[in-house]
Amino acid sequence: MQSSSRLQRLTSAPAFKRFVAAPEFGPLVLLLVEIIVFSFLTSRRASVDPFFSIFPSFLSSTNITNLMTFIPELGMIALGMTMLMTAGEFDLSVGSTFGLSAIIMWTFYNAGLTSLEVGFLVAMLISIAIGFVNGWFVTRLRIPSFLVTLGMLLIARGAALYITDGFPQRTWSAESPLVDVLVGEFRVGDLRIFTSLLWFILFVVVLHYVLVHSKAGNWILASGGNPMAAIARGVKVGRTKVWLFILSAVMSAYAGITSSIRVSAANPNSGDGYELEVIAMVVIGGTALTGGRGSILGTVLGVLILRVMRNGIVMVGVPGLAYKIFIGAIILGMMALHSTLERRTGNGR
Amino acid sequence: MANDLVRMEHINKNFGSVQALDDVTFTVGRQEIVGLVGDNGAGKSTLIKILSGAHPASSGQIYFDDKPVEIKNTWDAIQLGIETIYQDSALVPQLSITRNLFLGREPLTGPRYLQRMDKRFMDEQTRKLLGELGITKAINPDTPITSLSGGERQSISIARAMFFESRLIVLDEPTNNLGVEETHRVLKFIQSARDKGLSCIFITHNIYHVFQVVDRIVVLRRGKKVCEANPKQTNIDDIEKVITGIHDTLPEHRAG
Ligand SMILES: Nc1ncnc2c1ncn2[C@@H]1O[C@H](COP(=O)(O)OP(=O)(O)OP(=O)(O)O)[C@@H](O)[C@H]1O
Ligand SMILES: [Mg+2]
Repeated sequence: MQSSSRLQRLTSAPAFKRFVAAPEFGPLVLLLVEIIVFSFLTSRRASVDPFFSIFPSFLSSTNITNLMTFIPELGMIALGMTMLMTAGEFDLSVGSTFGLSAIIMWTFYNAGLTSLEVGFLVAMLISIAIGFVNGWFVTRLRIPSFLVTLGMLLIARGAALYITDGFPQRTWSAESPLVDVLVGEFRVGDLRIFTSLLWFILFVVVLHYVLVHSKAGNWILASGGNPMAAIARGVKVGRTKVWLFILSAVMSAYAGITSSIRVSAANPNSGDGYELEVIAMVVIGGTALTGGRGSILGTVLGVLILRVMRNGIVMVGVPGLAYKIFIGAIILGMMALHSTLERRTGNGR
Repeated sequence: MANDLVRMEHINKNFGSVQALDDVTFTVGRQEIVGLVGDNGAGKSTLIKILSGAHPASSGQIYFDDKPVEIKNTWDAIQLGIETIYQDSALVPQLSITRNLFLGREPLTGPRYLQRMDKRFMDEQTRKLLGELGITKAINPDTPITSLSGGERQSISIARAMFFESRLIVLDEPTNNLGVEETHRVLKFIQSARDKGLSCIFITHNIYHVFQVVDRIVVLRRGKKVCEANPKQTNIDDIEKVITGIHDTLPEHRAG
């Protein structure tokens, strides 16, 4: 009796209500459910079937290390995409930029043209150019971002294939402080952690701040919500969007380079199809495809949800090929949830 | 007149082969409410869009404070103190009242490089403004625009223009889709803006609204300015006849 009234008091507190009404609440619940279900299924499987007890369980440090290694790579792209989508545009060329940037850096380095650091800078400059061209076509020529970035997807992928003749680039001969800065390893207890995770966390904090607390964030939200009204108020919508296209390309390039160092391979085809997975992560987190609403924290949850799903279903023994069925189902389920919530509360910040 | 706030002289505007404005000269005095009327497609919106920098004139000259100015984009217009509230929506529906009020002019706090919005100040001002608006029900500054009525939205757009001490407020059909009560509130708002020293251009199809608040009426027809009148010296019938083209000028002009 007493405990139920305490529960009532808790659930009627304004802070609790706000927490539940937040667009990030749905994804958070889904993530927790996933973790609980997978932990339960993997531990049961290990106890029933002695063969599986040699595999790490879902919550083992090996598996958590594994999860945290992958998260920053797609996660970085998803952060850039979140900002861009909040402003009402999206970028299909992220996967190609991911592949091309690593190819450029390693090609320059392997050919002995530049040091690795300069190769890195060249790759970053090219990604800035990619983002600028995307933004320029979208804002100046008023071509939908779907078409512009589809064109760029093909150009960047084609460039990566052409430069390499389709062959992977050598990556193992590199000795450079850059490698340690981007994906250095260190241990925290049983966990092996890459510096890329720290970079990811830093970007989460910075971009969350920008979107929610800064003047730029207000401009980004307004550019996606009602560009005409924003322009009438003197908001430089075109310039804002160009910067976000550049951000998206730079984040993709950064992720591509990080990934190539970590797996010691720069394959001209890597990043293929990432654009759709990233957009899925972003929308699952509650950012609107049509702009005007966006959440960096939601995106972090979206990234975790899909990563945990990919990792978990393999561990419980569902064939990995079925992964796409689950992503599809999650997208549809989350979209239904977000649209219901929005209709009920008229969501805004 | 030398003492006008805005003078648009010999404005022409072509959209391809369509001549939307034909040698229009249009002025707004200081602390004056000018009603701009005319049938659909007369060129009213086009004229004020040139003034607010939404698109350039094909030819003509604009003077603001008796100085020739070039208004190339909305930013130029805002710098001059011209605030436009468009026919459709001037607000971002997903954003809160506070965020809309300060959009484009966000006050900052803390070190400049952080570009942090001063949310506390913004919320305070919004609460104050909402009180002045006479919206009786308590509205939270965090409320998104989507959950406000049309009249509340218009009031907020107008209040925003007043808050930032613009010199000229341009309203393109602000009373469209509004109920009786809300229309009344918007009209009162326009008058109180004038009393605080602002000038106003008020576009509407509702002649009765025009007669209630404006100091001068300007009629456009097919891109041409056909007449100007003082509402105290003319009547609704005559103006309507000029708008629709039954008459070319007002009675006394015809006589004289
Ligand atoms: N962007 C444009 N491109 C081509 N023609 C245009 C454009 N904007 C306006 N026009 C044309 O210019 C003329 C004047 O239009 P405008 O919008 O100024 O009329 P209005 O007086 O505001 O009418 P309403 O009362 O219906 O709002 C119309 O014939 C219209 O078709
Ligand atoms: Mg109009």
